[in-house]
Amino acid sequence: MIVIGKCYYFICWLLLTSGPVGVLEEIWSPEKNSHRAEPEMKMFSVSHKTAFVVDHCPYMAESSRQQVECDVLTKSRGQGMIPLAPVSKSLWTCAVECSMEYCRILYDVYPLKKLINYIVSDSEFHILNSWRQEDQSTHELMSALAAVGPPNPQEDPECCSVLHGLVAAVESLCKITEYQHEARTTLMDTADRVANRGRIICLTNAKSDTHVRMLEDCVQETILEQNKMAAGSDRLMSIQQCELVLVHIFPQGEDTLVSDRPKKEVSSLLTSEVHSVRAGRHLATKLNILVQQHFDLASTTITNIPMKEEQHANTSANYDVELLHHRDAHLEFFKSGDLHMAGSTSRDSGLKETVTLKWCTPRTNSVGGSELHYCTGAYRISPTDVNSRPSSCLTNFLLNGRSVLLEQPRKSGSKVISHMLSSHGGEIFLHVLNSTRSTLEDPPSISEGCGGRVTDYRITDFGEFMRENRLTPVPESPDTEASGKPPAERAKAQLERYTRYWPMIISQTTIFNMQAVVPLANLIVKESLSEEDLLTCQKTVYNLVDMERKNDPLPISTVGSRGKGPKRDEQYRIMWNELETLVKTHVAGSERHQRVLDCIIACRSKPPEEEERKKRGRKREDKEDKAEKSINKDSEDKSWQESERLKGALERGKEEQGESEVIKDSPDSPEPLNKKPRLDEIQLPEKAKGPVSLLTMWTNRITVANSRKHQEFAGRISSVNNKAELYQHLKDENGMDLHENGKATR
Amino acid sequence: MPTVVLMDASLSMTRPVSLEQCSEELQRKNLAVAGLTMLFEHMANNYRLEFTSLVAFSSLWELLVPFTRDYNTLQEALSNLEDYDKTCLESALHGVSNVVQQEWGHACPTQVVLVTDGSLGIGKGSLRHSLQTLKGRPEDKKFPLPFPFPAKLFIMCIANAEELQMTDTMHNLEQLLQLNGGDGQIFTMEGQLCLKSVQSMFGRLIDEVYSPFPAVLRCGNLASDVQVFPRPEPVFLDEEIDPMPRHILTDLEIVGFIEIGDISSPPVMSRHLVLPIVVNKEVDDVGPGTTEEPEEETSANQQAGKVPNFCVLLHGSLKVEGMVALVQLGPEWYGMLYSQADSKKKSNLMMSLFEPGPEPLPWLGKVSQLGPISDAAENPYGEDDSKSPFPLQPKIKRSYAQNVTVWIKASGLQTDVQKILRNARKLPEKTQTFYKELNRLRKAALAFGFWELLKGVAELLERECTLLPDTAHPDAAFQLSHAAKQLKLASTGDSQYAAFDQNINPMHTDFSGGGAAGM
Repeated sequence: MIVIGKCYYFICWLLLTSGPVGVLEEIWSPEKNSHRAEPEMKMFSVSHKTAFVVDHCPYMAESSRQQVECDVLTKSRGQGMIPLAPVSKSLWTCAVECSMEYCRILYDVYPLKKLINYIVSDSEFHILNSWRQEDQSTHELMSALAAVGPPNPQEDPECCSVLHGLVAAVESLCKITEYQHEARTTLMDTADRVANRGRIICLTNAKSDTHVRMLEDCVQETILEQNKMAAGSDRLMSIQQCELVLVHIFPQGEDTLVSDRPKKEVSSLLTSEVHSVRAGRHLATKLNILVQQHFDLASTTITNIPMKEEQHANTSANYDVELLHHRDAHLEFFKSGDLHMAGSTSRDSGLKETVTLKWCTPRTNSVGGSELHYCTGAYRISPTDVNSRPSSCLTNFLLNGRSVLLEQPRKSGSKVISHMLSSHGGEIFLHVLNSTRSTLEDPPSISEGCGGRVTDYRITDFGEFMRENRLTPVPESPDTEASGKPPAERAKAQLERYTRYWPMIISQTTIFNMQAVVPLANLIVKESLSEEDLLTCQKTVYNLVDMERKNDPLPISTVGSRGKGPKRDEQYRIMWNELETLVKTHVAGSERHQRVLDCIIACRSKPPEEEERKKRGRKREDKEDKAEKSINKDSEDKSWQESERLKGALERGKEEQGESEVIKDSPDSPEPLNKKPRLDEIQLPEKAKGPVSLLTMWTNRITVANSRKHQEFAGRISSVNNKAELYQHLKDENGMDLHENGKATR
Repeated sequence: MPTVVLMDASLSMTRPVSLEQCSEELQRKNLAVAGLTMLFEHMANNYRLEFTSLVAFSSLWELLVPFTRDYNTLQEALSNLEDYDKTCLESALHGVSNVVQQEWGHACPTQVVLVTDGSLGIGKGSLRHSLQTLKGRPEDKKFPLPFPFPAKLFIMCIANAEELQMTDTMHNLEQLLQLNGGDGQIFTMEGQLCLKSVQSMFGRLIDEVYSPFPAVLRCGNLASDVQVFPRPEPVFLDEEIDPMPRHILTDLEIVGFIEIGDISSPPVMSRHLVLPIVVNKEVDDVGPGTTEEPEEETSANQQAGKVPNFCVLLHGSLKVEGMVALVQLGPEWYGMLYSQADSKKKSNLMMSLFEPGPEPLPWLGKVSQLGPISDAAENPYGEDDSKSPFPLQPKIKRSYAQNVTVWIKASGLQTDVQKILRNARKLPEKTQTFYKELNRLRKAALAFGFWELLKGVAELLERECTLLPDTAHPDAAFQLSHAAKQLKLASTGDSQYAAFDQNINPMHTDFSGGGAAGM
């Protein structure tokens, strides 16, 4: 329920809503109903450029003779007072305010790429703005109009004419817009595909049909003339198509001297139509219809919007609000023929076609809009009656971040949610929701597919990773261009860095299960390290050394291990190796990254272990070399640089090389037993970074798996990731459960 | 993309095929059934999420199997197909149109596979007759093409091209395709009519339309082979400037992540399941007939299920965190990946495609300008995730978000004048609001060249001044007469007083000292 905020003015508002209901002679022109099957697919259609030419000659200062009573006396005060005489707008005022309303709707629905050039004509032409996008706003135009002021009735009518403006409009249509320029520049060879079309809307007071014909002829001649000039110019484009819309405005109570005429072809370049309209409300309706026709708009009336008046807080009344938007939001209705059934009202706006959608009171918890609807289109809206109270209540409600679902009334009485109103950053959109059966229903669940049986994914960690890799808009500036990569590419580069070593499951990693490693793990992925970062990394390493000295337990996965799992010193060996692997993938980043690695290498070497390690190291080194060779073979398609860089990294760590590979051996007993199942484990990501892709490993794995067609061990059949857990009862005694999707140490 | 198989069951389909090598007599219908059998088998194995229905037609049409993924049912119906009378394509196409609209509405792209021998009837009800009488039909008897939904029409002719070109059949079929907006293709058999050639014809259809779309989903160094279902369709942007269709890349690269609330139910062109697959080099690209041993397959599947897969990890985290991954589909073309749950609590990794272009969603801005948060001086999401850099605000506010003045209806003008008067009576407490409303009216009146209104309101203010009660604050009278005077000056159009960007400021009075200053 909308509660009208500060509804201090409700009394006068209620008084005024019961205004006079007009009867309109305008009827929708036939084009309105012939909805094309396809949406507009040309950017440079006639509606790309609209030139408004408004007559500013002395006769436009004439009164429209539509009077507005602006002194509304309330009963209590009105006694004995003579109310102020009603004011009446001039033809000029009527023309200006209706054209501004046209612009308002247009700018609301198309803030970009639909341009208006506003021209005023008296003894000469005055161009009030340009085609440039930053000149496109009602405020800009209003300011320029104020400078022009109303027509001067004393001016010599002989030297004033709307012709000056029409000529200027044609000249203006030849001027290239920034969008046309950009498209031509991008297309290069095919620049001629960029069309130049436009529309001239002329608001004037014509003398007669002959006068109208004269205006048409003048426009036609000017087009030919200007096209000749444009042919020899880079900054001008010749006009391929021009629509002239002449609106003859005459005061109320007079008979028109000009007859209405539907669109006709004056030449292959020019079409022309004439609308003869009374000033005032009729003119406003006419221009409202025109803006809908010109820009493929349609109308939706939201009904049953409950609103509370502050003065009557316990009652609520239902209101309707009419919105304009691109007609594609109704595509489904047009096609299904549900259009008329959906309802068309002919309230105070006359014979107006509008689709009625019913307000569905939003659930209170859907404020955040954290639901992802399947939405097939979103169209900007503009309220028809922008500052009426129901309209502004609705728009303010939406601007405050609430979304409203809309229901399509159906004959059958079934409830179908077909649309949603929602604002994004101060703009309101009508979203079209899919209300038909989905062809994607009932798909196999992801748990049934590849990798679906694995239960210890690092879901929480990857969530953390995603948060760190959220995107943010970076303002466009010359600086960012100078620095080379556009922001999105930098985002991808960051993802690359962050995933150089990223085990997907908990039982594949030790370091990422350790709170103590977090500071280093977070920093090492950075593009560059500060001195302070380096210090933190080093501290992390010292801290680990300390832990080792104190013989603190490590969260080594016991899955698949034999006996009681690796001994403590073996656990640390595994941990150090993994840490080294992580850091090694980043050493090429900067000198400080290298220093982190140096620190690890320096800290972990302990004399008593040294010998044992060397012994083992020699053995492993042989193996390592072989592995490396095969890896390189696999990765021939990888970029040369990357493998070079990695080789460099490996070289630097040569001394400890034998050990880094242990990762894939771990978390098992040190001696190589049962090689086969080990090899096909995806334990190589550290090296995989460079030379081996996941894909290759995976394929290898499958190949190995298929080659082993023999009776499977009972343990392996019931295993997870090829690791059967033995002595499960011991787990409880250890007090650590590493099968959980969380970190044991955190 | 659902498929409707529209099978010609007219008598002409039973014409025998002359075969030299083969002793057994084959009808055209048998060939058609063989071709469709191959198609159904292929779908059951490689494209099993496709919904397919079977419609048979002669002079009448009948929905034999409603949309299903059960290809056995389709196969069964096909083998039980009876023979009927003559061909009447128009009514059959009406039938297809109805069947599709009832099931999927009008937005769902559909594939219609018409299987016919190319004899399209004679006289009334024949395709030739239908096409000749296209024009001047009343609204309710319109030809069913183009369909009210996006549709591709594939015409499988159990005939070779020469045969069809001898009569005007080929021409008529081409016309049919044109009526459908050119969306589709005519397939004919090459060489002799036999099982081999019908299989090769359906093989071509399968390759073009029903082959899975393999891709690699990447997030930095993490990757997974995936199948995108249904096949993403090529997209046309601007028919004039950019007439070439755009295809999505087979390398889907994640750019970064965005909260569901920030992406905020964006409009999408289509939705696709992203299913992780095992790329099996041996089984790939093998034609029909080579059905693998089911036992072997399941064991391979079980194996694959136990290998960690990036898709599953990504899906799990997207679901838990309520986020989407922004994915690049091509140059200036993006989409999003998210977890989609169906009613049965099954969930899946889904990809939605945005409209191609540098800025598909105004509230995100240009996608190429979206960078990592580490680039920002301070975390735009706040240290405790309390903020968000989205949505972007447009440079210029929309009319409904800024207090615009519209006086098209008399009520609009009256409300604005009454607002001023109401505040005038509450001076000096309401001085700020009074001048705010007054200046708003002044600006609009100047822009609209409505000087008469300025004079009128000035008079109203002067009258209010005279009506002030004795208890009124002395400031009220000063402000009212000051405002009235300024409005009158503005109404002369004198540039000194009628500048648009100028405001009438409250008169500076000082009653704190008890005296009437500012006179």
